[in-house]
Amino acid sequence: MEYNGSAVMAMKGDGCVAIAADRRFGVQALTLGTEFQKIFQMNKYTFVGLAGLASDVITLSDQLRYKVKMYELREERPISPETFAHLASSSLYEKRFGPWFVEPIIAGLDPKTGEPFIASTDLIGCINFAKDFVVSGTANSQMYGMCESLWEPNLGPEDLFETISQAMLNAIDRDCIAGWGAVVHVITKDKIVTKHLKGRMD
Amino acid sequence: MAQLKPGEMNLGTTIMAVQFKGGVIVGADSRTTSGTWIANRVTDKLTQLHDRIFCCRSGSAADTQALADIVKYYLQMMTQSHGEPPRTEMAANLFQSLIYQNKDALMAGIIVAGWDKYAGPSVYSVSLGGALNKQPFTISGSGSSYIYGFCDANFKEDMTKDEAIDFARKAITLALSRDGSSGGVVRLAVITEDGVERIFTPGNALPKFWEG
Amino acid sequence: MKAPRATSTGTTIVGCIYDGGLVLGADTRATEGPIVADKNCEKIHYLAPNMYCCGAGTAADTEFTTALISSNLELHRLSTGRDARVVTAMTMLKQMLFKYQGHIGAALVLGGYDVNGPQLYTIAPHGSTDKLPYVTMGSGSMAAMAIFESRWKKGMTREQAVELVKDAIESGVFNDLGSGSNVDVCVITKSKVDYLRNYRKPNEREPKEQSYKFKRGTTAVLTTEITSLVDIETEPSNAGASEGRA
Repeated sequence: MEYNGSAVMAMKGDGCVAIAADRRFGVQALTLGTEFQKIFQMNKYTFVGLAGLASDVITLSDQLRYKVKMYELREERPISPETFAHLASSSLYEKRFGPWFVEPIIAGLDPKTGEPFIASTDLIGCINFAKDFVVSGTANSQMYGMCESLWEPNLGPEDLFETISQAMLNAIDRDCIAGWGAVVHVITKDKIVTKHLKGRMD
Repeated sequence: MAQLKPGEMNLGTTIMAVQFKGGVIVGADSRTTSGTWIANRVTDKLTQLHDRIFCCRSGSAADTQALADIVKYYLQMMTQSHGEPPRTEMAANLFQSLIYQNKDALMAGIIVAGWDKYAGPSVYSVSLGGALNKQPFTISGSGSSYIYGFCDANFKEDMTKDEAIDFARKAITLALSRDGSSGGVVRLAVITEDGVERIFTPGNALPKFWEG
Repeated sequence: MKAPRATSTGTTIVGCIYDGGLVLGADTRATEGPIVADKNCEKIHYLAPNMYCCGAGTAADTEFTTALISSNLELHRLSTGRDARVVTAMTMLKQMLFKYQGHIGAALVLGGYDVNGPQLYTIAPHGSTDKLPYVTMGSGSMAAMAIFESRWKKGMTREQAVELVKDAIESGVFNDLGSGSNVDVCVITKSKVDYLRNYRKPNEREPKEQSYKFKRGTTAVLTTEITSLVDIETEPSNAGASEGRA
């Protein structure tokens, strides 16, 4: 986890969810890129954020996308974020004794009801269903602290954006291997708003 | 030989088996430990493998339970195919080969005792590495080292049932009072042609010895 | 390099038999090293309609082993046409854990009611089992066992057993650092299971008295991209005349 460095979090709001990640790609202390993708859209309403070893982030995101597409072809319906969380969890536990070094975060809206859903899993697939927020990555203790203090229930999409952005930016400023800008997706029933945030580049 | 893995349940243990005129007695303490924690203070280490065959388990709880389950299964199958109860020797040989063939993975010291119509009462001990010994009586487990002297001094061949019960109970009591890894109650089982009689002696009803 | 740590359940889990049934109990804290990963997780897992199982140790392992055994018990039930027995579940669990030689870090308390009445087992990660009238496991097992050893007696009523289990878990919650948050209880009787999720909540957080809500526009944004998810369907040109389709 400390090899590349990362910070990913998700928050639940009123009829919306937000997921955020930093954009750094680095090897230990050396920063090699500032446009690394850590959040992946699995379908209309489901997003997954992968914190951890960069190579596994790429491989696993591809594998999960493949599995989602096969599921949706077979079932002829979109996968719900909750089902996706179980899919991700099983995929991780398959490698129980040689795991992917990745801790995923799942955020989305139920395609039928529009109910917000967030979850995180550990590297071998133990799911954590949270009703407030989930965090993952090297800055996790900082993110827990920020989220515990900033998050409040029933935030609308605009307020949720400010809350998750501030939580993320302030957390990664205290982690020297995560940061270099951040990206936030706010998902509501009728639109996805993606914003790139201005952050410290050191 | 295998070592106890971290966090593994250990049957600290004092176990013994004694032949007497017409039967055998198996006996054990009742302590299971995990490090310094007593995970079970009323364990039954006397496991019935068949109508008149018992084993006493010492070493790793997981290993000895798995072994006893396998042997129990074999003896059941054997009874069906042979149409008569298995011999004690059969059970002892099964334990011996399992323990010897897997000696790098197992931590199990086992005593097998029972009655069959060919050999009458008999006692076998299978040690950690898989050596099999037939003896008139045997003691095993961490607590046994404290009572070799007592047993050698007091064992007599062809004791009566009551003499043998008294001997076994005294021996285990002495061991569990000295050995930190043994303790709890004394469990005995008397196996004869007529069947099995279990004797339970709680910690407050054990024979009294010098306690300083 | 430091190996990443899996979520573990610091945990206090217990079980207790009473006349006519049994009670399982668990705390609800999941930890990753010193960090509380989940403040209200579920540690009492479903195995069969008449059996439940508390899990301690590596969280993913307890989750997946119980799910696997639960699935096998369902198949067993379908093929035999009978309710599965508690010993069957216990044997399946111990044989699987023994096969993995302790590498699957699941410490379980298994409780169920079958033709032989209420039964309670503990299963350690290496595959050893114990059958007892009252049991505790996990890092809070000492604190919980202290309560059982001082107050358990034969022939308790359901209410007495639930109270004792609740106190044992609370003892773990308050005295063991690895255990915390709420108390889950599950009562299994001959014909019925009562899963009392969050039976006690001794650690409710005070609502915040003030808000840290930021003024909109606080965060400096570089780029914004909006993906509209509204499906636009044009109505036929003679709209209003016939049935309108939205």
